[in-house]
Amino acid sequence: MAEGSNRFGITRRRVLVGGGVGAGLVVAWAIWPRSYVHNLVANDGETIFNAFLKISEDGHISVVVPQAEMGQGVWTALSQALADELGADWRTVGVEPSPINPLYANDFLLSEGAEGSLPGFLSGVGRWAAREYATRNALMITGGSSSIRGFEQRFREAGAAARAVLCKAAAARWDADWRECDAENGFVVWGEERVRFGEIAAEAADYSPPGTLDLRPTGGRPITGQSMPRIDLPSKVDGSARYAADVRLPDMVFASATQAPTPRHRLKAVNREAANNVFGVTAIFENPRFAACVGTNWWAANRGVEALAAEWERTEGEPVDDASIDAALAAALDSDGGSRFVNEGDLAAAFGNGPVRREIYSVGFAAHAAMEPLTATARARGDRMEIWAPTQAPSLMRAAVADAIGYGESDVIIYPTLLGGAFGRKVEHDAAVQAAIIAKRVNRPVQLTWSREEETRSDYYRPAARARLSGKLNGSGGILALHTRIAVPSVNAQMAARVFPGSGSGNPADPDPGAVEGARPAYGIPNLAVEHMACDLGVEGSIWRSVGHSYTAFFTETFIDEMAHDAGVEPLSFRIGMLNDAPRLARCLTRATALGGWDGGEMGNGMGLAAHSSFGSHVAMVVQVRIGDDQRPVVQRVAAAVDCGRIINPEIVKQQIEGGIIFGMSQALGGRIGHANDEPTARNFNDLRLPLLSDSPEIVVDLVESAEEPGGVGEIGVPPIAPAIGNAIFAATGQRLRDLPFTVGGAT
Amino acid sequence: MTRMTVNGQPVHYRMDPRTPLLWALRDASNLTGTKYGCGIGMCGACTVHLDGRAVRSCQITIADAEGAVVTTIEELSRSRDHAVQQAWIENMVPQCGYCQSGVIMAVAALLDSNANPTDEEIDVAITNICRCGTYPRMREAIRLAARVARGEERLASAPPPGIDPGDAARSVEALTPPEEGAEADPGRIVNE
Repeated sequence: MAEGSNRFGITRRRVLVGGGVGAGLVVAWAIWPRSYVHNLVANDGETIFNAFLKISEDGHISVVVPQAEMGQGVWTALSQALADELGADWRTVGVEPSPINPLYANDFLLSEGAEGSLPGFLSGVGRWAAREYATRNALMITGGSSSIRGFEQRFREAGAAARAVLCKAAAARWDADWRECDAENGFVVWGEERVRFGEIAAEAADYSPPGTLDLRPTGGRPITGQSMPRIDLPSKVDGSARYAADVRLPDMVFASATQAPTPRHRLKAVNREAANNVFGVTAIFENPRFAACVGTNWWAANRGVEALAAEWERTEGEPVDDASIDAALAAALDSDGGSRFVNEGDLAAAFGNGPVRREIYSVGFAAHAAMEPLTATARARGDRMEIWAPTQAPSLMRAAVADAIGYGESDVIIYPTLLGGAFGRKVEHDAAVQAAIIAKRVNRPVQLTWSREEETRSDYYRPAARARLSGKLNGSGGILALHTRIAVPSVNAQMAARVFPGSGSGNPADPDPGAVEGARPAYGIPNLAVEHMACDLGVEGSIWRSVGHSYTAFFTETFIDEMAHDAGVEPLSFRIGMLNDAPRLARCLTRATALGGWDGGEMGNGMGLAAHSSFGSHVAMVVQVRIGDDQRPVVQRVAAAVDCGRIINPEIVKQQIEGGIIFGMSQALGGRIGHANDEPTARNFNDLRLPLLSDSPEIVVDLVESAEEPGGVGEIGVPPIAPAIGNAIFAATGQRLRDLPFTVGGAT
Repeated sequence: MTRMTVNGQPVHYRMDPRTPLLWALRDASNLTGTKYGCGIGMCGACTVHLDGRAVRSCQITIADAEGAVVTTIEELSRSRDHAVQQAWIENMVPQCGYCQSGVIMAVAALLDSNANPTDEEIDVAITNICRCGTYPRMREAIRLAARVARGEERLASAPPPGIDPGDAARSVEALTPPEEGAEADPGRIVNE
């Protein structure tokens, strides 16, 4: 058999073209005029097998992961997928973040995005265009709960391809047929013979993987499907996990910055003298968009920034405050200019003669509030700029930094670090750009960290939204017609303008199906319309964990509860009766209500439920609340049933559901963020009122066993919790709350 | 005066005496396991032990800490075998991990002063913010750590750091044993 002789000749292209991958990817590769070669570096004794795997002669296995580890466990889960195909011993597996390379592009996310945004016949073309754009531009991005869905197959193939060449090398030693060899626990085995991966890795690199890869069955495996301990666990209990602000470089100085409150503002004045008088401040920077101080330690630099007392000048437009935002939402909701993205049946005819229930719902702004504020460490060396930063999108960060300092992209190196939480905020690169600008000027490594106040003030919030839902019962325990219109800016347009230079209009008032994602309920309703009433609130918005689902699920699942009440049907039966075409969600409801001891929603008991499908997965929750002495709702218990398809690591899935519930509680029960004088009123954690341990309910999670393709996990716990809490508050008090964050009996 | 004992070492910080202890630890001592979260004493990511008590190190100046004995997450245990760390691993508590140093230090101090805290006492003592929402696991892990600290249960979840390649190969067959005479890992921690 013809074997490659190049030691590092196992390129991803050959692996993939040969490797029984999904048709889309094979086609995409076939039409490409060029191939990409990995840009990994082999350490002493390491052999590079492909873009995702290195094996060291001492037996260590390094899995190369392009997806950002922000707490969701992706370093562990993708490594499990690869290690199982490889036949590794889990205890020998480590992870390193990948360099930037088109091989690591997240084509899944963009293709899924394009799918929904183009009507019918165009969607296939859009899918192709998006996929090509993603790969050619090395669009590496972690978001949209896409990592497992987009990368599991590639990691399995990478493991299987390496297993094949290890078997070939071992078979040559034994004069055996490589197809009779297998790999397990870090050894290639053939009958009584066995050889460690480490001993044979270098020889294996002389072989090519076969034309067809033989993937292992997914059930009953020792690593995949098991709750292996997270790879990052030990380092996260002893302080040794290295985040971007933990980077220490010789001669490094520290910086803090403050930026213009909106893109319409420019720096007007700073008090340089006051900042200069701060002990430890060594340099002051003024830029039209930001002001910064450099110091011998971060506290000194940040005191310098406070002393600067930067003043900003609005160059256009009217000031933004609560009243202007409220007016913009109200006007959009009442306008005629909506875009109907779902239109089924005949709504007008169905609504023809009453009675129709019509309600207005709203959600406030929601802060990302990751514990780790934006930070970046930058070092200019010769004509190169090195950046250590937490990022969900390293290639976009590289492009932005290169553009800001006038370097070529190949002269900017991004070292992605662990993320101390992100939730959508770290798709953007504000701090890295600022750090690079400063580092270029001071000619010393600079570590820039935003203060919590700056992080809160300059967050790009999940925007406020308002909805009007109209519904009509069908007289036999179901819904005949549902009309949902949602006034909300398109954060996709805003974010794209910030992070993909030159893409789209950047106009938040452009219609966007993404803005109303999740508004089409899983329920069988014959007459249905969903409209996006796009609007500009004058505030920069961004994606936030579960994106549009974070409010569409609240609107829909609260309204469904109201309709159930109108129909005089118990809320569980009401929902199940309309879920004939969504058996997976129906099953989640059945299991969650069994787990949670569902009481039928009896008034006075404080039990509520909600269900929602998102990111290819399905979740139902039953919540028990009581109203505290101070009138605040206390969430006592949450029972969640989750169908996210085939599971790689059950314990990590449970972590994500629990975390999603707590995260979703923050928008339901946290502080209300106002705006005044073009800025948000929230300044620090005390204004956000995030949940604490004492607020945390008992959470039980039931994972539905499934052989379906994996769905997303990181965001799916967020959408159902707010409506479930609201429905429980109704059951406790009879008061129907239609605005997030909730206010019960005047208590805030 | 800004002299104190940090992780067993005498230290004199030549910084503005008003500098919060957090920034002396991070930016002068390079003890980066202690994190900055809010700077107003709310989130607890910066929690360290000061004379055995859990304190928000962003709220204590180095002048206030004069003469104190300060312990950070790096020195909670040399071999990652503190009951709280073990329980944290057993219950797979961390997600992003950023807040966890502070939480672990707060819990360790709580258990030092109260070996069997009630849920209410835990709620009062552990006011750290975890944005990933690890609270349900945290509570279970605190209960477990308390049982371990009281000697009612034993745990050995965490691989100790600094195992040398020979030791590692003896316990994990897939690793290649080092050749005879290979130099020992200089980072190895020897239990005395």
